[in-house]
Amino acid sequence: MAPPPIVTGLSPNEGAPGTRIKIRGENFGSQPGDLIGLTICGMDCLLTAEWKSPNKIIAISGPIKGKGDVIVTTKYGGTGTCNVTFRGYHLATIGPMKESAVWVEETPMYSWGRHSLSPSSFQQEDPLGLSVEETENKISEEELQNYFPGKCGDIGSQNFSPAWFLLENHQATSFNDIKAGLVYLTRKVHSQKEGQLSFLKANLNSIMDQIDTLMNLRERYEKDLSVFGSTPTIKLERAIKESEREARKLFDDVLSRKDRAEKTRNALNVLQRYKFLFCLPCVIEKNIKKGEYDIVINDYMRVKNLFDKTEVPIFREALNEVEKRIVELQNKLHTDLQTMPITVDQQKRLIRYLVNLDCPFDAAWDAIKSRWEYINKKFKEIYNFHKNTDKLESSKKQNSASKYSKLQIEVISVPACINFTDEICAVTSELFPDLWKIGQAYFSGELQVKIEAGRQVEYKHMVLTAIDSYSKYIRASIIPNTLDKSDRTQYGSLSSLERDEISLYLPELLRSVRSTYSTLIQLDLPNEALDIVSALLVDLRIHCMSILFQQTTEQIKHLSENWKISFSGKYTGVTELPLKFLRLIEDVIQIVKESALSAEQRETTLLDNVSAQKELEKQIDNILSAFYMVLNNLSSTEDFEDCDDNSPVVSQLIGTPVGSQKPDVIHDIPTWEHRLLITLSNCIFTKNTILNDIATKFRETGFSSVDTPIGVNRNKLEMLEKSILDRYLEQKSDPLVGTIEPSMYLGRFDWDINVPPTDIRPYAKECINNLINVHSEINNISTNLLDTILVKIVETIAEELYRLMSCVQKFSKEGAQQAKVDIEALQEMFKDYMSDNAHGHFKEALTHIPVLDGAQMTLVQDILKQCRARMRTQIICLRKH
Amino acid sequence: MAKKLAVQPSLHKVIMVGSGGVGKSALTLQFMYDEFVEDYEPTKADSYRKKILLDGEDVQIDILDTAGQEDYAAIRDNYFRSGEGFLCIFSITEDESFQATQEFREQILRVKNDENIPFLLVGNKCDLEDKRKVSLQEANDRAKQWGVPYVETSAKTREHVDKVFYDLMREIRARKMDENKTNNGRGKDKSKKKKHCCLFMCC
Repeated sequence: MAPPPIVTGLSPNEGAPGTRIKIRGENFGSQPGDLIGLTICGMDCLLTAEWKSPNKIIAISGPIKGKGDVIVTTKYGGTGTCNVTFRGYHLATIGPMKESAVWVEETPMYSWGRHSLSPSSFQQEDPLGLSVEETENKISEEELQNYFPGKCGDIGSQNFSPAWFLLENHQATSFNDIKAGLVYLTRKVHSQKEGQLSFLKANLNSIMDQIDTLMNLRERYEKDLSVFGSTPTIKLERAIKESEREARKLFDDVLSRKDRAEKTRNALNVLQRYKFLFCLPCVIEKNIKKGEYDIVINDYMRVKNLFDKTEVPIFREALNEVEKRIVELQNKLHTDLQTMPITVDQQKRLIRYLVNLDCPFDAAWDAIKSRWEYINKKFKEIYNFHKNTDKLESSKKQNSASKYSKLQIEVISVPACINFTDEICAVTSELFPDLWKIGQAYFSGELQVKIEAGRQVEYKHMVLTAIDSYSKYIRASIIPNTLDKSDRTQYGSLSSLERDEISLYLPELLRSVRSTYSTLIQLDLPNEALDIVSALLVDLRIHCMSILFQQTTEQIKHLSENWKISFSGKYTGVTELPLKFLRLIEDVIQIVKESALSAEQRETTLLDNVSAQKELEKQIDNILSAFYMVLNNLSSTEDFEDCDDNSPVVSQLIGTPVGSQKPDVIHDIPTWEHRLLITLSNCIFTKNTILNDIATKFRETGFSSVDTPIGVNRNKLEMLEKSILDRYLEQKSDPLVGTIEPSMYLGRFDWDINVPPTDIRPYAKECINNLINVHSEINNISTNLLDTILVKIVETIAEELYRLMSCVQKFSKEGAQQAKVDIEALQEMFKDYMSDNAHGHFKEALTHIPVLDGAQMTLVQDILKQCRARMRTQIICLRKH
Repeated sequence: MAKKLAVQPSLHKVIMVGSGGVGKSALTLQFMYDEFVEDYEPTKADSYRKKILLDGEDVQIDILDTAGQEDYAAIRDNYFRSGEGFLCIFSITEDESFQATQEFREQILRVKNDENIPFLLVGNKCDLEDKRKVSLQEANDRAKQWGVPYVETSAKTREHVDKVFYDLMREIRARKMDENKTNNGRGKDKSKKKKHCCLFMCC
């Protein structure tokens, strides 16, 4: 036995009678003959069934109605089952125009009304039995309307016009065809009439039954009429009414109770229905407490939408209650909004809440204003705070000054004005961006509030005043001289600081102002606002620069000489002083460059500023002059050092420095001549090297206008150099030259002698020795000075010799030889330091000596030769190496 | 037989939707009877039902294969109401059918009034890769947007055919389990809520 067939698929699953159905499933038998039964919705359809495969059968549905199974029966599997259902309906067979012996439910048909309009399902058959032609040149509806006014071509219509119909549908049909059509139509009408007759015949039984029933009904009615009279219904009506009244009496109580219950139920329903509304005040309060304003707003909007226009008093009441909570919330949020400090995001959120709550105040603007006021208040607070501390401090200082007048304790506390500036910068950097951001948000429409006219201007004013007061506070505390009098009184000032003190903090301060500035720049502020700060910065930078330079000038003024000569490097005979000077300048340039000069973001180079340039020039001049003064002082301060060095003159004959003879002299301070020499050397060094170095340093840094002050000071130094040189020469060469004459005529020497010369005279030796002495002294300090100084001395020596020679009245032969020997020897000794002038003087001196003959000259040459051998050490001393 | 009926396996009602000619019937027939129908015959509405083994459990799948043609658009509402899960099919070789899925999705959501109704987006005819008009990316994007899985199938090669039906049934089953739970646990609550919502919609 094969398994029973089972139907698992129907395509389609519904349809009018005559629908071709594909039945799918399993075990439909192995050949067409196996199929022995098929019912669709109980209707046997085996006749139309067509076996296709073991799981497919195609059948045509019969006149079935409603849902039902499709059951397949096979020879070996027996009666099967069905998983799916088929729904049959009448549509095509029975229309509204067709007669039917059975009751046809018409409602589903109407639901298909739209469907039936589509031409495929409701195509009217042509009444003439002709094919509907597809003519292109159809006569349009309007034209037909013109031909047959008030008629139409619809067969169903009362105004049907056959001509219209023919023109519309059979315009091109031949007359014969139309005739044939007419015949067809007549036959059809005839057959329909016959159809009626046949319909009656077919249903004769039921019609007879109906007639019988009607007859019976009539008989009964007539009988009743005779028994109860012509109006039987009145009595009946009365009886019914009576019974109704009785029934009512019975149920009145129940009914009234039922009514009440109904009412209660309705009320409960309403309450249930609008529970949301009645609970809302409570819910809102709870949510406000929890801070979930979003939910509150959401609820509020909902309730507003739902009940805003309601007339029901209870709803109104509830709504008022809600309204009250919301107003409270609005006020709370509004206060929160204006309570500082608060972040921008928080403010934005609060503004959003307020806007969503339709609050009456202009929340966003209030937020901006409160922020602005907060900044101002904060400024003032900081100012007052520091004003107080400042007062305290200054009073303390005074006290301490009186107590420890000698022992000044350096209190390591940052002065108030610096603290103040720092803090105000910090506050501005912190608070101002928020003001700006919220303002931007306000004007860009991010806050979704209406922007009132004039607000833009007012806001701009706010921003500008905030920045302005920031800059003015700083000015007032640091550089009050840049403020007007009125501003100065308005912003007040803190006690100003000593230069040394402020210079410590200025770069730091500059940095903090700058950081604020860069914060402001990042905000994309309008130039107008930025310019205020940038002007402040320029002023601060100039101030900073000049303070730094002033400080350096001060330091230079206090530079002291340690008189230690360094021999290292190119510049010998130089002490640390000029180098210290250079270092100080380098340092200050570095600091100035770092702090004031370098232009940061959106700053102009300081030196582009004319006043800055002037200030700079002045400061450089001051610095250089200060150093000049230092040098000058060093070269001229002989007075207080003279006390332990009272005999500066080189002892005539012995020529040893006096300093070395006095062991009790402070070792560090050399003799005055030495100091002169050192200072001179320093002076030259400064002039030649340091000034150039400074100039290049300045130029490297970007100071371009240093030439004038440097030039001026170079000249000054040159003058100083000359004066020092003169003084030194005076100190040295005068005594040296002065000794020549007395020692020449020592022992009543006369050039008119008869003793032939054997050696050069002692005066010449002394002169040489003295010069060597000076040479060594200078050499100790700086060999560079040798040329300038020794040449000058030699010149004076030559001049003196010339004077002495020209004063000799008479030379003996031996005397002439002696003089010749002396002068030749001196000339030879000094030849390395001989200037043209000196040379000339020597020559002239020689012309005063009588001419010698050959034998005499030989003697002179001999003596000179001996001399050279004897005085080899001295010669070496005076040779340039 | 009668005894078996007593323990009726659970029934999952699946509805095939999609434009005409995308292969709804082909997929259904392939799944039901392992056959591929070459000739095209527009469907009106076909019913299929069979017993299958889903993860070791006997279940019945009821497939309603609907008409894709626009003529039947008006009656879709009636079908959709009875569906528990939907396979929304388009042809990867026809962009119009892909665009139409949007409409189907909206109609289903409207009728079912449920965002999370079991639903699979199915791109059929994936064997015709060379005629592809709808990119995988596009389809995936739309599926992601709807929060539904996307599967490409071929009724011809039977690729992923079982998968889509089984996946959908698993979703339906999971959902029914969920609902049972909530019904048992807070059934009362839920109905109340629903009522509540409706009331407000009336207002």
